Amino acid sequence: MSPPPADGPTAGCDGPESRPAGAGEYTRDPSADARDDAPVRLDGVSKRYEGGGGSVVALDDVEFRVDRGEVVAVVGPSGSGKSTMLNLLGLLDAPTEGRVLLRGRPTAGLSDRATTDVRRETIGFVFQDFHLLPTLSAVENVALPTTFLPDDATARAEELLERVGLGERLDHVPGELSGGQKQRVAIARSLVNRPDVVLADEPTGNLDRDTARDVLAEFRRVADGGVGVVAVTHDDLVTEYADRTVELVDGVVRRE
Amino acid sequence: MSDGSDAGPGSDPDGGGDPTPPPNADALPAAGSGERGVHDRLPPALRAVVPSPGRGFPAVRLAVRNLSRQRLRAALAAVGIVIGVFAVVSLGMLGTALQVAATDELGGIGNQVVVSPNAEAGVESLNDRDLSAIRRAASGRGEVIPLKATGTTASNGDRRTVAQVYGTTDPRALFGESAGAAPAYLRGGAVVGADVAEALDLSVGGTVTVESNDYHVVAILPEATAISPVQADSAVVISPGEFATTGYSQVVVRADSAADASAVADGVRERLNAREVRVSVFSLSSLLDRITEFFALLNGFLIAVAAVSLVVAGVSIFNVMLMTVSERRGEIGVLRAVGIHRTEVLRTLLVEATLLGVAGGAVGATLGLVGVLAVALSTELPVTAVFVPTNALVFAGAFGFGALVALVGGLYPAYRAATDPPVEALRG
Repeated sequence: MSPPPADGPTAGCDGPESRPAGAGEYTRDPSADARDDAPVRLDGVSKRYEGGGGSVVALDDVEFRVDRGEVVAVVGPSGSGKSTMLNLLGLLDAPTEGRVLLRGRPTAGLSDRATTDVRRETIGFVFQDFHLLPTLSAVENVALPTTFLPDDATARAEELLERVGLGERLDHVPGELSGGQKQRVAIARSLVNRPDVVLADEPTGNLDRDTARDVLAEFRRVADGGVGVVAVTHDDLVTEYADRTVELVDGVVRRE
Repeated sequence: MSDGSDAGPGSDPDGGGDPTPPPNADALPAAGSGERGVHDRLPPALRAVVPSPGRGFPAVRLAVRNLSRQRLRAALAAVGIVIGVFAVVSLGMLGTALQVAATDELGGIGNQVVVSPNAEAGVESLNDRDLSAIRRAASGRGEVIPLKATGTTASNGDRRTVAQVYGTTDPRALFGESAGAAPAYLRGGAVVGADVAEALDLSVGGTVTVESNDYHVVAILPEATAISPVQADSAVVISPGEFATTGYSQVVVRADSAADASAVADGVRERLNAREVRVSVFSLSSLLDRITEFFALLNGFLIAVAAVSLVVAGVSIFNVMLMTVSERRGEIGVLRAVGIHRTEVLRTLLVEATLLGVAGGAVGATLGLVGVLAVALSTELPVTAVFVPTNALVFAGAFGFGALVALVGGLYPAYRAATDPPVEALRG
């Protein structure tokens, strides 16, 4: 059912030229490091917050990348900068220093509209508390990112829900679904736009062990479909399903 | 790759010329790729504008769902608009109806010009030269009725009453709509007003005695409904030849409109009063203007008072939207994170606020109309005075203002939600 995993660097041969206009003036050098084809990459990224008692360093000169077909777990204690990193990867926040590159293209300086478009087209989000809209059915929640697009994604949303095992629950609202089912709806939603990368914030944080295993297996299948998966977590279980684990301590990558 | 024929993988919108698209999120066939409708075949630029069939307007759809979540709160916010629009519609329409009814009632005098000799200047009656001058002034603007009039006693056997005796051959022109069965040309006999007929117990075919002359009663005027300077109810109309005098005691001009009446009045003054004030010209058109103006002012005041309640309703919508937006902060953050634009969030929330106004306005305007009709049906106010173009304007205007007030009330909350950085919103 799932296609074979993407074959690494060659996956990027569509070239950055095909990115939406305005995504930066980066021109691909044929001899450049193939790492630039990563769906998302942090290049020397720092993030500082200006607080009352001076500035707080959340991330300090972080190098990070995720490739298609791999699941990366980002672990670390509270306050280690995991969430900040996820926000930067998801273009929800901008770094103080360094570059966030999507398929090798810098994202700095994009307008809010362009950032929103890039986010919708390349990034899927899965949140700890699911963040489904309570008034919408499962199918409508999955199709939510395409709500304002001209093409109707209902059929695709239904297929995605069938794929995550919720074919019988298409018209249920979130209130009628269990935690694991809600998280699978959220995973289906993250895939509706065929993203390059799915970013998950504590995806198992509100789930029991067995359900967590199901959800993580689902992430595994998503990655096997050629998508990069980044999961920020406290949960050691996630690392069992990950290809790589990155540990953040005080905003610095400790171990990879 | 199975979805190579799709509108393009979401991640690669410009990849049309690319022979090897990147591996995609999954190998699912494109949504409904086998059954694409007409809408899907439109060029992308058009597809963005034309709402897809069956999908309708997404902002409206989301807004309706959101409103249905807090039904009581939404209903209470809309009630404010209901009350405001009801007040504007009922007071505005009632005011207009009163104005229309009053104008109808007074309409007759507005169109009349009464020219009388100026006794102070020694003029006792109007002669034929005066009459032709008046005819010239009134030409094309209305009908000129020369009158010989005198107050005297009319009797029938033992019964007597004071009557206004008019000498004219044309009672129908003189009394207009209240002429009833009066003949168009009076040769002989008399047309008797309603009060005189009652006091003297007269009926058609009877005899009325004026200054010891007997006249055959040819018609009885119905009771006058409109106010008029010619006293129809106490009138006895006989042929002008019956009067001993040669001059006319009054000339009445029944103009085609109030504007014509004032033009005629000016023309008569110009022609006859240039050297000395020979005649006094009496016209009620300016008084009527004054009355109309007063009604308009009263009406405007009432609507303004009602509009204040609408503004209050707008504030309550502002409050409700602010509450809604802060409660849904996380959700709106999710919308922004998954790729919904600021303008789309803004639009959805504005639609939500406006829907409250539209629903409240529709209910309020309908209630207002029903209320005014109930008043009209239970009083002497004619229903036809309610259904006039001005009232359609009041109805539509109040409804539109209600919707606008709600839209304005939603502006700031929607703006605040749409510009909230998604990171902050998601953190809660």
